[in-house]
This record gives sequence, structure tokens and C-alpha cells, in this order.
Amino acid sequence: MLRDVWTKTVRDQRRALLAWSAALVLLVGMYAGFYPSFHGSNSYNDLINQMPKALRDLFTAGAGGDLSSGPGYIYMEMLSFMAPTLLLVFAIGAGAQAVAGEEERHTLELLLATPLTRARLVIDKWIALALGASILASAMGVAIVAFGAAVGMGLSTVNVVASMVHLILLALVFGSFALLVGAATGRVALARGIPAAVAVVAYLVNGFGVTVSWLTPVRKLSPFFQYVGHDPIRTGFSLGAILIAAATVMVLVVGAVRLLRRRDITG
Amino acid sequence: MEPESQDTRTDGDVPPVRITSLTKKFGGFHAVRDVSLELERGEVFGYLGPNGAGKTTTLRILLGFLRPTSGSARLFGLDAWSAAPDVHRRVGYVPGDVALYDRLTGWEMLTYLGNLRGGLETGQVRLLAKRLDANLSRQLHTLSKGNRQKIAIIQALMGRPDLLVLDEPTTGLDPLVQQQVHELLREHAAAGGTALLSSHVLSEVQLVADRIGIIRSGRLVTVERLDELRRKSLHHVQVTFAQPVDPVLFAIEGVRDLDVNGVLMSCAASQDALDPLLRAITLHHVVDLSCEEASLDDTFLAFYGNGAADAS
Repeated sequence: MLRDVWTKTVRDQRRALLAWSAALVLLVGMYAGFYPSFHGSNSYNDLINQMPKALRDLFTAGAGGDLSSGPGYIYMEMLSFMAPTLLLVFAIGAGAQAVAGEEERHTLELLLATPLTRARLVIDKWIALALGASILASAMGVAIVAFGAAVGMGLSTVNVVASMVHLILLALVFGSFALLVGAATGRVALARGIPAAVAVVAYLVNGFGVTVSWLTPVRKLSPFFQYVGHDPIRTGFSLGAILIAAATVMVLVVGAVRLLRRRDITG
Repeated sequence: MEPESQDTRTDGDVPPVRITSLTKKFGGFHAVRDVSLELERGEVFGYLGPNGAGKTTTLRILLGFLRPTSGSARLFGLDAWSAAPDVHRRVGYVPGDVALYDRLTGWEMLTYLGNLRGGLETGQVRLLAKRLDANLSRQLHTLSKGNRQKIAIIQALMGRPDLLVLDEPTTGLDPLVQQQVHELLREHAAAGGTALLSSHVLSEVQLVADRIGIIRSGRLVTVERLDELRRKSLHHVQVTFAQPVDPVLFAIEGVRDLDVNGVLMSCAASQDALDPLLRAITLHHVVDLSCEEASLDDTFLAFYGNGAADAS
């Protein structure tokens, strides 16, 4: 686990990843436990439908609300808000620590005094980030499939996998953004704060963009739209959304490398 | 590219360090200005100056952390900034502000950094740890400052680098360990290696350096062989006599800032002047005597004060 930068970084995160995964599984289990009382009942749907449309769109991230069916329930309770929030907290935190954390603790100099290139450092840190996000989403996905089957949610496994893949990509967009800000500034606070603020805006744009007409054209730019705009828990993969998110991530990682390479490490 | 850059391993003539008109500005502040310096193989060079003079900035440029504003720094013929990863195969570094991976043990951290260098030489690490009496099995955050410093030194030496760049390497070490470090540096130099170590006190490098350079306000004010500087270095002498003495007695070449006040005499003397001064002193009954080597700053001010004033 001390072979190179990415294995070392995953090693550093091993306890956190275990705790996060356990928490996510428990969360899914808890929601699954509540499902039977929602199933087939329209009273909660009525409640949601009474909300102003703009607010409802915001809560449901634009995909409408139907708590009585399995996919609708999982979408509303987990995928629309809770899952992306938790994954983003993890990914933005890990991305911010990647370069800026090492720099603030002055351990970046130890690494860069070896033959390690700055590009390799960024890529290794990114691999650790991607692996971490994938582990969390996998734990959650397995829990959704298992608990979903146990309480009879009638979920398609392929669609759960698709939802998790899109969730990982969403986390990687913002995690890579945090890595970029950290690589450009060396400051953890900025590397956390800026992507978090942008994530809130992107979430609101996607949610309100359904109803608020002037936001509609920019809604498709929101990474949250790439994540759930096509309703993955019902429709599965969207190749277009995957390509856009992957391209975004690639641009951010290349940007992080370029910014780190031209910058003084002032320590 | 000039031919010298092609050939880095079998370089007979390429100096390990060649700094040419190096300037580094942070905003409007000149941290280093117009520094030129060349180190030879087998040389230990002491880079001296008060805190904030630009020592660390120079070393960080050599390590490729900082990009020169103008001028160049080449190590083994390679540019310190653009060829940093290649340069680092041959360089060991101890940072001034030693930060380690606190949650790892010493052994784990050395394994990690060794792997980034292409593999850990376990035998060499064990040998160094033994000589420095370093504890490699404890988590680094539990170690004292001096014991952490040992790990940083092992880390720099373990890859058998051709060049060592050490930023105040012996701070926090007890004298016995300092001696060991000096011995390691001498062995390194004897085997053809080169070392550049910074310090703000002459006493820290005088036992091991062949040459020293003094940097002040970002300018390299002087480069001298150490024996030459030692001859010049000032000693503060204070004497209490049994009876009042005549100041004329101490009008000796190399004695300055003479102050005689009744039975008390104080002055600054270069090393050359110590012997005649002591002979003059012992002509009288001495009650108390102290002789202290002046700080580098004082010696510096005495000899290079004007040049430094021009520089700032």
C-alpha cells in the first residue's frame, strides 16, 4: 500500500471509506425499512403534489415525485438529494486534500523532491479519488439492490448500476474540480469552498430549471442534469450524459496538471 | 540543448550545481537577487545568512519548487525547474521546516519515499538509522523534533544521492547526533558527493564545510574558504581586572570596539588577534574572563556591513 501515491492515498482513506460505506449501507437499509408504509399509498404523493411546482421540482431534482413505487421512492429518498450530497462531501473533501492538503501539511515537498512528476502526482491523487467514490457508490448500489429486493421495491439491477455510475461521475466532476482548485491555489479551504458553492448553484439550476423559464437553457449545463436529468433509476444509462461528465472530468484533471506545473510551491 | 545536458551520469566536468544570475521575486519583494554560485564535486558548501536572507528560497529553486524570475539554476547540467524529476534522481533533500507523514512509522514513510525513488535500499536505511540512533518503528507524530529530524536526514541520504541539499539539517539534534551527521557528510564528500547546507550560524557548519557563502537581503555577499573566514571571525572578549587598566595596552591589530571602563574591558577580536590580545591581558591580574565567538551576523556586519547596506 506504500508502492506509489495512489495506493498510499487509498491506504490513508481506508478507515474513512469503511465507515462511510457502512453508514451508506445503514442509511439505505433504514429507508428500505420505511418503504412498506409508503408502498401503494397515495397520501404522500398528494402531499408532494400540493407543493408549488417550483419547490417540488427542486426537491425532486426535476424528475417528479412518486413515493408509492419502488424506483420513485428510492429516487426521492436517496438519489435526488441524500446520495449526491454525501458523495459530494466525500469527493470534494478528498479532492481538496489531494494536492492542497499535502501542501498545507508541507508533505508535498517530500513527494516532489523525489523523481515524481507533478502530472503523475495529480493523476495518482485522482485515481485514489475515483476509487474512493466508486467504493462508496458500489456499497450503496449493492445495498439498494439487496434491501430493495428484500422489501419488494421491484428495482432493475441494471438501472441501479446505471444510477450509481452516473452518481460516481457527478462526484468525480466536483471532486476533480476541488483537486483543480487545490492544485491551482494550494489552499484546502478554497478547494473545498468553491466547488461546494458551485455544486449548490448547479443543484438549484437543475431543480429550478424545469419551471423557471430563463434557467431552462442552462439547466443542461448542470452536472446534476447529467446525473439525473434522464431519470437513470427508470431509464438506465445515458451515453450522452456519461460522455459529457467524463469530458468535464478530463478537462478538469488536465487543467489541474497544467496549473500545478506552472506554479511555485511556496510552502 | 547543449551537449552537457545529454550526459548526466558520466559527467566529469559538469558541476553538480551551477547557479547563474539567479533572481527570484515574490510580488515586489526580491527574495534572491543576482546570485551566481558554482559547486564542485566532493565539496561541502555552507550557505549562511540571517533568517529571511534568501537561503531557503535558493534551495527551493534548486529543488524545482520555485521557478526563477530570471537567471538559471542547473544541477548536473539540467535545469532545476523544467527537468526537476530527472534531477531528483541524484538529489537528496532535507527541508527547513520538516514535515513528515505523522500517521506512518518511520519505516513506512521511508518505504513510501524509497518506492517513489524506485525502491528502498533497506540495508542502507538500517545502517543510517543505526548511526543516527533513529527509531523507525514508532509513528512519526510520537517522535520529538530531533528524532523527526533524523528521519528527514535518513530520507535524504538513503538513495545515495550525488548531491545533498540540506536546509538547516542539524537544528534540534543533540551534539552527538550532529557529529554523526557531520561525519556522514564528510564521508559523502570523500566519496565524490557534493553537499549544500544552509544555516544561520557559522558554528553549525564550520566543522564540516569546505567553503561558505554568505547571503544577505537576497544577495550572495561573499564566498570564502572556511579557513579564511575563521581567521576573520570575531570573538567577543570581556575581562574583569583586579585593578584599572590602561586602554593603550590593547591597541592591537584586529581588535575593534575596544571599551575600557576602570577594571572592565570589552572588545571584539579576530582570531588572528586572540594570541597577542591574551598576552596583553595576562600582564595584569585577571578576575574574570569570557571569550565568545560572535554570531555570524556580528562578524558579517563587521566585515561586509557596507556591501549589505548597498544591497538593500
